[in-house]
Parts: sequence; structure tokens; C-alpha cells
Amino acid sequence: MPVDKDTMIEAIDVNKEYRRAGAIIRALGDINLTIKSGEFVLVQGPTGCGKSTLLNVLSGIDLPDSGKIIFDGENIARAQEARLSKLRRQKIGFVFQDFNLIPTLTAIENIEALLWPTVLREKEIENRAIAALRDVNLLERKDHYPVQMSGGEKQRCGLARAIIHRPRVILADEPTGNLDPESEKQVMDLLKKINKDMETTIIVVTHRGSLSSYASKIIKMDKGVITNIQK
Amino acid sequence: MAFRLFKKSILMVLREKKQFTVFCLMYTILIFWTSYSIKLVLAQPGSGIASTSFFIALGVGIFLSLLYSWIIVRRNSKTIATLKCIGWTNRDLNSLISGFILFTTIIGFIIVIEVLFHYAAIVGYLEAATAELNPGYMISPLILPLVSLLPVFATFLIFLTFQIIAILLANRKVLKVRPIIALKRVGE
Repeated sequence: MPVDKDTMIEAIDVNKEYRRAGAIIRALGDINLTIKSGEFVLVQGPTGCGKSTLLNVLSGIDLPDSGKIIFDGENIARAQEARLSKLRRQKIGFVFQDFNLIPTLTAIENIEALLWPTVLREKEIENRAIAALRDVNLLERKDHYPVQMSGGEKQRCGLARAIIHRPRVILADEPTGNLDPESEKQVMDLLKKINKDMETTIIVVTHRGSLSSYASKIIKMDKGVITNIQK
Repeated sequence: MAFRLFKKSILMVLREKKQFTVFCLMYTILIFWTSYSIKLVLAQPGSGIASTSFFIALGVGIFLSLLYSWIIVRRNSKTIATLKCIGWTNRDLNSLISGFILFTTIIGFIIVIEVLFHYAAIVGYLEAATAELNPGYMISPLILPLVSLLPVFATFLIFLTFQIIAILLANRKVLKVRPIIALKRVGE
């Protein structure tokens, strides 16, 4: 499939509907968008506008009802689960609003966990985790459990987990939704730094207008459709 | 890689102290109960009490194994979904969950073996100590174990079968955990 080599993700005529309590809800309607490599994209809109659904289908976590998702040159809209897992492990980093750290693992183990099912040696995995922790200024907390960390520290740990495998894209769903303004700035500054230093494409879903200054592209959504794209 | 995941599952299950202790203790009691029932069945063939005890132990054993696998997947569903999001395959997750289940049973089994060894050692010690205090006392030439090797080995095979069934059930449940759960907000 011929694609622009700078294009990281392309959505073509993507539709997604949900059935809830007997009613059909259109989560995404005829979405067409292109995200280029190295862009910092904000997806904004009110609650329930479909922005999280968009993030889910772009990453292969959820499948669209129709349309294509071209991820780094490969249509993932109908890919098998095993293929999608491999793609996520190799090319995508996730940052969650609720951090989603495993409570029984320390900070460094949470980060290493992404690479446990790989053929990399334990020492190599540890070195990468230490480098990722250093990148997010959290090395001194490496042996702490999530319960011993603040919200900002947990999110930085989540960010370190998202970059340990040097992904092409980081997808963040309301990454600052549970943070105070100071931690929000730290996390967004780190995402910007990763975007700049590693040339990683960043896609952040948020309802906060205050984050607009970080973005190179802002996608506004409402009722499942893109209403505006600002560059 | 599968060995690494098994090692990590041990690390994780040991840190779930309360759950691990409770289930390990229950397995220990059940394994001992089953072994002892098998010993009674072998010693008194046709005894109604012995065979009833054996079948109750089997029933409780299979129930506990299935309950444990259900609890493990249920309690860890968000962790499983998160691991799926970050690129773990169902196969990787099955290795981890299998490790959780097998390790707990193996520890229960080791505790039973330890108890049987200690029982024999204590009886031997008491026999020797009594003989030392009473010069006329005859030490028994044969200290009978509480449960002999055959019932213990048979119980191990029975529980291994239960655990395989529990692992298959857990693996089916892991398949059903959708990665999208990881992105749901608390209370949503």
C-alpha cells in the first residue's frame, strides 16, 4: 500500500458504534485523519465525544466497524490479536489516566514488565529500565511500590514504562487527569521532551484546553466526528 | 522466556501475601486430608468412612482449584488488561497465570512432605529419648510414617490433574479479558 513515508497513522472512513441498553451509540463517524511521524497531537472534546474510542482504534485495542487504520504502513483494522500485541510491544507506548501500575511490583519491575516476554537478557532489560527511569527523573524511586509514590511519580513511572522499548508512538489517555497542576506540567514537559529528543509521535487525549500549547496539531471532536483540525 | 515468566509469577504471587497464605494453607490441609484418606482406603478396603472422606476431599480439592483460578483472573483482570495493552500476548499471560496456580499448589505439597518428615523425626526422637530414660524400654525397630509414600504420590498426581483443569479454566478466562478494560476509569 503506497503511503507517505512521513505518515505514522492514517484513519480512513473509520466508523464505530456501540450498543448500550438497546440503543446504538455512534462513537466514531467517518473519521479521516493523518498523523505524521514526530507530531505532538492533542485530541480534545467534551466527555463522550469519542476521543478515547479514537485512541483505542488507532492503537488496535478496539477494532473499528468499518474503515482502515494504517499504522506505520500496515492496515491493523482487521489484524489478529497476536499481531496487534506484537505491534503494541514494538511500536506503541501507553500512558493511562489511572497509571495502571501493577501494585505488587516495584517501579523498576513495572517498567521491566513490558520486556519480560521478550528474548532480551535480564541485565539488558534492567539497564533499559534504569535509563527510562533516569529519563523521567525517577531513578531514586526505583525500588518503591506504587502505593509509596505520589500521583505525579506514578505517572512518570507509567511514562518510563511507555518509553522503555523506544516506541514510534506514545498514546496517552488523559495522562494528567488525576494530577495536580505542578505534576501535570512535569508530565507534559516530559512528553514534549520525548517528542523532541526521540522524535516519538505523541497522541494525547484530553479535555483540558490548557494543554494546547504543547501540541503541533489539535484535533477537536464532538459527537463522534472531527469538527476541526488546527496546526 | 516462559521460564522467566514463571519466575516472575512466583515473585508476584509471593507478594500477594494474604491470598497466597490462605490458599497455600487450604491446599496443605486438603493434600494432607486426601493422602490420609487414600492411606485409610488402602488399609481398610471397603470402609465406608474412608472412601467417603476420600471423595469429599476430592470434591473440595477440585472446587478449591477452580475457585483459586477464578479469583486469580478476577482479581488481576485490570493487570491482565494493562499487560495486553502494553503488548503481552495471551500466551505470555497464560504462562504467568499458570505460574501463580502451580506455585501455590507445589508449596502446599512441600509443606505436607515437610510435616510428614517432621512427624517421623519427632516420633523417632521421642522413642530414643524414652529409651534413654527407661533402660528397659524397647525402641520400635520400625517407625511407621503418618502417611506412606504411595498415598502422597497419588495425591500429588490427583492435585496436578486438578491444577491442569484450573489452568485451562484460567486460560479461557484470560482470553476473555479485553485490553480496553485497562483504559476504563474507576467507576465508569
